Amino acid sequence: MAGLFQVLWGQADGTFKKAETLNGTDGQPLIIPMPNEKEIVESICTRPTAVDWDADGDLDLVVGNFSGKFYLFRGEGAGKFNPKPEPIKAGETHLQVQGHHGDPCIVDWDGDGDVDVLSGAASGGVQWSENTAGPKKTPVLKAFAALIPGPVDPNEGRRPHEVNEPAGSTRVCVADVNGDGKLDVLVGDALSLVSPKEGVSEADFVKRRAEWKAASEDLQKQMQAAQTDPPDMEKLEPLYEKFNELYKAREAFMIEERTGFVWVYLRK
Amino acid sequence: MKRLAVLLLMAGAAWPVAASEFEKPMQLKGGDEIIKVEAPGYAFPCLADLDRDGKADLLVGQFKEGKIRVFKGLGAMKFGPGEWLKAGGEVAQVPGVW
Repeated sequence: MAGLFQVLWGQADGTFKKAETLNGTDGQPLIIPMPNEKEIVESICTRPTAVDWDADGDLDLVVGNFSGKFYLFRGEGAGKFNPKPEPIKAGETHLQVQGHHGDPCIVDWDGDGDVDVLSGAASGGVQWSENTAGPKKTPVLKAFAALIPGPVDPNEGRRPHEVNEPAGSTRVCVADVNGDGKLDVLVGDALSLVSPKEGVSEADFVKRRAEWKAASEDLQKQMQAAQTDPPDMEKLEPLYEKFNELYKAREAFMIEERTGFVWVYLRK
Repeated sequence: MKRLAVLLLMAGAAWPVAASEFEKPMQLKGGDEIIKVEAPGYAFPCLADLDRDGKADLLVGQFKEGKIRVFKGLGAMKFGPGEWLKAGGEVAQVPGVW
């Protein structure tokens, strides 16, 4: 089930056991509960990272999700976690990345002795939430700010020669990669590499791609307009169908390869 | 799922540009090849010294089958060719990735 946490327990010989679902101290799988059926985005696409968040000596789980919010499962030692997650806040507000898909990376980014939160997002780029609490204290966080801006068009297909920065759906790891004493940022992404289909000239490809993009943008505007509260599903369902048809129509002139790269941003 | 995919497509919002404190991004290689994950993508990098040789190895997770590739750290930002992480003697898979 989407939203559960899996662990590959390490063994003394350096190997790993097969993935197991991580249970809470109640014996049930850990999961962020859905407040209601409409808010499935709270429970899915979860991304956990283990860190001693509350400085009590036990590893806790800081978890991002589809909605871009963050939760804490408090550790009780020996790989056991309290099953009831707590929202992680920035002031009085639930900490949330701009865009979807919170992807926590916990690190002392500003070197002040406490851990900060870095995150990727569906919209690309890297955001950070500064912790002002000081060493060995429960974090006191600011709202996310941009550390590395995302691309203007994170979900747009790219020609192989156009790939010069991460696209969307970024995931972040921080380390001193080049050993110069400064923290660098690794970024993973997801993108489509697009090329003309065999028999399609470059000029024709450029023209048809532009036409397709215009049609796609028009359809997305219509879908956004129907994203009312509650969503107007009578309008949305046919638009989803149209979008699927439009997406498939690209195959007439375009080859698409979905992939993801690993990038490094070295700190100056 | 359809609705989620649409939400993802609509998620590209602009941020104010921060002062640049980084060099231009570079794609990492495993051996002589640029590291890329299988379709549909979603590369998830992590550094850890898996083989305990004092050099960080690069682990790259992916959406497809929840598999993880390990690139042995050689130092100086160089990594060896990728091999699938094993668990229980088989290629490790993390179920329910979506």
